Amino acid sequence: MPIDLTPLRVLSASGIIAHMSLATSFLGTIALALVLEYKYLRTKDDAYFQKARMFSVISTIIFGVGAAYGTFVEFGLVTVWSNFVAMMGAVALPFYLELFAFLFEVVVLPIYTVTWGKIKNGWLHFFIGVIAAFGGYWSAYNILAVMASLSMRPPGLQIVNLSQQGQSISKAITYLLVWSSPTQMLNMYWSGAQVFIFHGILAAVIVSWSLISGVYIYKYIRDRDPVRKKVLNLMLLPLAVLTAIQGLVLGHFQGELVLSDDPLKLAALEGMYWSGLKVDPLTSFVAYGTFNHQFWGYYSWPASIRPPTFVTFAYLVMMVGFGIVLGILALALGLDYAFGENLKRIGFGWLFKLQPWLEKVSQFLIPFSGIIAGIGGALATESGRFPLIFVSSVPTTSGPPEITGVPVSAIINVALNMPVWEVALLIIVALAIPFVAVYGIWVYVSRR
Amino acid sequence: MVASTSVVAGLLSWAFDVHLPLVYTVLGILWITPFIEYIGGKRMDSRYSDLEKVMLNYLIAVYAIGGVFGTIVTVFLAGLMPVFTNLAGIILWPVWATAIVAGVIITIPVIGMYYRTYNRWTYKNHAILGLLLAVSASLIPLMFRLVFAYTAFPAGTSITPDPSSIIGFDLSVNVFKAFMNPLYLPLYASTMSAALAFTGIMMIFGFSVRYKGLPHQDLGISVGKRIALVFGTLYGIFTSIYLYEVYENSATMAWSIFGSPPSYLPSALQAVFKPTYLLNEAFYVTISMALLLFVVLVVFYLKNNRTLGIILGPVSIAVLDLAETIDLLAHAPYAVVPPVSVAENLINTYGVQFALTVAKTLQVSTLSSTLDFLVQLINKLPPLLYMSLILFAFFNVLLIIVIYLALAWREER
Repeated sequence: MPIDLTPLRVLSASGIIAHMSLATSFLGTIALALVLEYKYLRTKDDAYFQKARMFSVISTIIFGVGAAYGTFVEFGLVTVWSNFVAMMGAVALPFYLELFAFLFEVVVLPIYTVTWGKIKNGWLHFFIGVIAAFGGYWSAYNILAVMASLSMRPPGLQIVNLSQQGQSISKAITYLLVWSSPTQMLNMYWSGAQVFIFHGILAAVIVSWSLISGVYIYKYIRDRDPVRKKVLNLMLLPLAVLTAIQGLVLGHFQGELVLSDDPLKLAALEGMYWSGLKVDPLTSFVAYGTFNHQFWGYYSWPASIRPPTFVTFAYLVMMVGFGIVLGILALALGLDYAFGENLKRIGFGWLFKLQPWLEKVSQFLIPFSGIIAGIGGALATESGRFPLIFVSSVPTTSGPPEITGVPVSAIINVALNMPVWEVALLIIVALAIPFVAVYGIWVYVSRR
Repeated sequence: MVASTSVVAGLLSWAFDVHLPLVYTVLGILWITPFIEYIGGKRMDSRYSDLEKVMLNYLIAVYAIGGVFGTIVTVFLAGLMPVFTNLAGIILWPVWATAIVAGVIITIPVIGMYYRTYNRWTYKNHAILGLLLAVSASLIPLMFRLVFAYTAFPAGTSITPDPSSIIGFDLSVNVFKAFMNPLYLPLYASTMSAALAFTGIMMIFGFSVRYKGLPHQDLGISVGKRIALVFGTLYGIFTSIYLYEVYENSATMAWSIFGSPPSYLPSALQAVFKPTYLLNEAFYVTISMALLLFVVLVVFYLKNNRTLGIILGPVSIAVLDLAETIDLLAHAPYAVVPPVSVAENLINTYGVQFALTVAKTLQVSTLSSTLDFLVQLINKLPPLLYMSLILFAFFNVLLIIVIYLALAWREER
């Protein structure tokens, strides 16, 4: 009897989302610590120093829990998706290089955190922080390179389907990956992967900064502490700019890649639920700049390889819709805070009048939109390629392009036998562990 | 050309050599602190609570770093020997699953809780929490040492020819029989006693380095030397039993460690079981260093000399790392050393060619180079490896500085 993948997929998704929430928060908080420290070094304003120090400690707490949690995700991979490990040899370069990133983080981050005010040259301390942050971003860069390969098979990577040849390894491993030469492994970082990687990294900063902004707006409304406004001024307008770059530039390039590498995923994301070729004016305009291009509809491919239909909602409503809301709110409130009454002079006095309302809405809607857009993006990306990994498309002379990849069902551990209650318990724990970091941060902040 | 076996062995040894001393102290502290707390509470002696606080600070600083190096070990295993790790994940999944539950799901939040509830709960309740945590953390080596024992002697394994398998056979494991591995319990007992002895020595070392004549430092040295002596002796006993079982059951390892083929190995099979590295000299150096360590420890026990206390630290790390490295490298050329009896059975039942196919498949070079492109890439671009080695050395030095800074910083607060 085939194994029901759903509970195990939900378990893995829960673990990965929980780990991603920690990784994302780390990238955002360490970046913010550096921005604040830079501001301190330029202005010598102690408020920036205190906040920079606080965010460096917060990032260290998040890193500690996140690093240990990464072990959970990793063991989960070996235990549940064991047959992915056989393929890891082919995509191991980013994992290998990520280890150095790990070392940067684990060694340099504590130095950065414990040497506040102890290194006389502030710029040297800032430089140590940059190296610690580099570790985090380099780590994300490499993991996202692997995730990119799951959605878009890198050039030169070939799938060997052993079962098609009546073969296996010990009746368990049925798929392998090969490169025609070892140096082709460097294609893990091909141009398509770069777009995927920077889209992911930017998403991490946007999500975490939107969450921090929400907390700061909430507090600022209540105590009108000018230090909070200083921090918000550093975050809101950049948040709006980053959201615009994410949607209009990187998002566009990402869409073009989906169009060429996985047209079935594109059909699911854009909600093109028809069979055969049909014009979709909006997608046509975004992709080609014309209104009359035809696209293969979702039902043009067999049901066995079609992704779930909820990805349309995850993409259009959660990611795009809430991403736009986030960008608009961050821009409006950011302008309000940055320019205040000066807005009247340039004809935007109405925006200043909206400030109280904007604050009330933004304290909840900015973090909510950021988180929902982030989750929507992750869901759309990873579920949009389901039920395959290492996806690629091959044009055919008639009919839609052929979508190829390794079925997710082939990488499950066939020996695994876990009752649903056990999976449910693990899901609860997996989702609860990030709260250890939240608790740690709460203890630290409340002690200050 | 860099030999794939050397790349795999070198990288894995490095990760283990950093990981083990860190997690040994974590394990040791988790077992020692509840007793210190209980005795201190019972006697109402503040020296014990001061000592416990210092040890808990170290625990919090080092646990995550040790965990990170555990992750590095797994990434190396999966990245350098993917098929081996894949099959290990399938056939020994209960072992990995238990380690996840004990190591991550229980231990991470409870270590935080244990640290935070210090001085907030009654000493009895807090000590009970510490003991439960120690039991949970001890499940991690209880599981992973099975994998080590398995690679030295794959108990409970069945091998059947399968022409459809690209390695020529199918592998299955009876997990219950795997736990009956004769190497397993001595190895686990040796690990636990090593963890406690090593922690005891680190207590002596740490307090000797930063000695300021404080009462809790004197107490730490006094407790540390007793623990080190008792568990160091037990470590010697259990390791001797383990080595005996290795000699009896793992021909390649025995040959590598003791320098000559074991007496039961038929001469016809010597070519199959010949080790890649002859480590007998390193083994005798390690034994000599361990004996020297023991003597220094005994002298320290009697004289309490600060210089001797400082010497104990690096010597114990060297003994621990040498022992683990020898244990790891002695497997080569095999990732999983085939038992002699199984080899003979395979020859008798399926013929010499099949037995040789199985033996070849279990070798590190087959498991790494034929299907692993990372090792091939390193062979093509050796600077990748050399750069890695330089960076690893650099980070090891930084790591020591970080641990020192974290402790010094916390002590000042």
